[in-house]
Amino acid sequence: MSERILRAASAGLAAVGAAITGYLLYARETGAELVCTTGGCETVQSSAYADVLGVPVAALGFAGFLGLLVAAVGRGEWARLGQATLALAAFLFGGYLLYIQLAVIHAVCQWCLATDLITTAIAALALLRLRPGAPAPPAAASPARPSPTAPSRAGPAGPLR
Amino acid sequence: MKTPSSPRFRYTAVLSAAAALAALLIGASQIGVDGKPATDATTTTTVPAAPSAPEASLFAGLAQRGGALGSAQAPVTLVEYADLQCPYCAQWSRDTLPMLVENYVKTGKLRIVFRGLAFIGPDSDKALRTVISAGERDHLWDVVHGLYLNQGPENTGWVTDELVRELAAGVQGLDGDELINARWDDAVASEIERAAQAAQTAGVNGTPAFQVGPTGGSLELVQVDSLGPEGIVPAIEAALAR
Repeated sequence: MSERILRAASAGLAAVGAAITGYLLYARETGAELVCTTGGCETVQSSAYADVLGVPVAALGFAGFLGLLVAAVGRGEWARLGQATLALAAFLFGGYLLYIQLAVIHAVCQWCLATDLITTAIAALALLRLRPGAPAPPAAASPARPSPTAPSRAGPAGPLR
Repeated sequence: MKTPSSPRFRYTAVLSAAAALAALLIGASQIGVDGKPATDATTTTTVPAAPSAPEASLFAGLAQRGGALGSAQAPVTLVEYADLQCPYCAQWSRDTLPMLVENYVKTGKLRIVFRGLAFIGPDSDKALRTVISAGERDHLWDVVHGLYLNQGPENTGWVTDELVRELAAGVQGLDGDELINARWDDAVASEIERAAQAAQTAGVNGTPAFQVGPTGGSLELVQVDSLGPEGIVPAIEAALAR
């Protein structure tokens, strides 16, 4: 799979993840009712685990997906390293939150499951992008762009909801 | 800046950094639960200390705001009018409340609001002031349930400061001395007055008494002929079906 396809797929998934977490954040801030077929979204979103040090997990997730989007769009080694690090961290933290939903809160939020799946897919794509022998990014497509090896800003890492 | 070129080094570095980041987030998440400030809106019940302790997980993960338990967006609201010295109220809290919490509150279907009355005697007043103080710190239900489980004979002085401290010690973010000192705040007196007026308006003439209806809508007084779940569940189901 080419670097271009890996980056495009990662960016698309990150955009979807940002949209989902943005929706969760919007519902939280406005008090709007969440669309929920699993019946546990409100329980999860109003639980003690919905904040990390006072910051809504949805906000962390939104920031995390934006970081993944930037890393996916970015070129070069540092973008690949940043994307893989952020995606794997989000994958691990998402797994922990899934455990909390199942074992502690006893309620499951469909939106959280969706972001877990997206995170898993992005992590897999990021590892493919990082693998030895992966096609190198093409030479600078536009002379106006900065050096493709310039460090990309992955942004603050965050969980994915 | 040069990037690490060895594939093994790259994978090790990425995995290490990701694991560290995830561990940091998980650790911070735990601090958010265990060390929650008293004014936070979600409950973090642990086991209240001796004498009797509510089940550790009964209110875990559920939002408490003032006298309300559960999501503000739950479609149905149940209001409980109770005197903390009333033995039937304690029985309802033991026999029915856990089932309602598990099956209706945790699933986002029901929000329960506590409105305390104090007509049995001095210990009723002391207990009510204590739980309203806890409600101001968003831990009312932890203390209500703990007091019911330790309910003593009427007006024997069973609502001791020691009991309050022991119950508070089992709830993260709650300080027993703060609760005791806040009993005489104006806000507590106002809340007692509001609950008494609401009970009068609703036509409550005994405890426990319940109102059920759509959240934000008109609530109806429900006559229960049993203190078990079968007494109140039909009214909740009917409200949910509307």
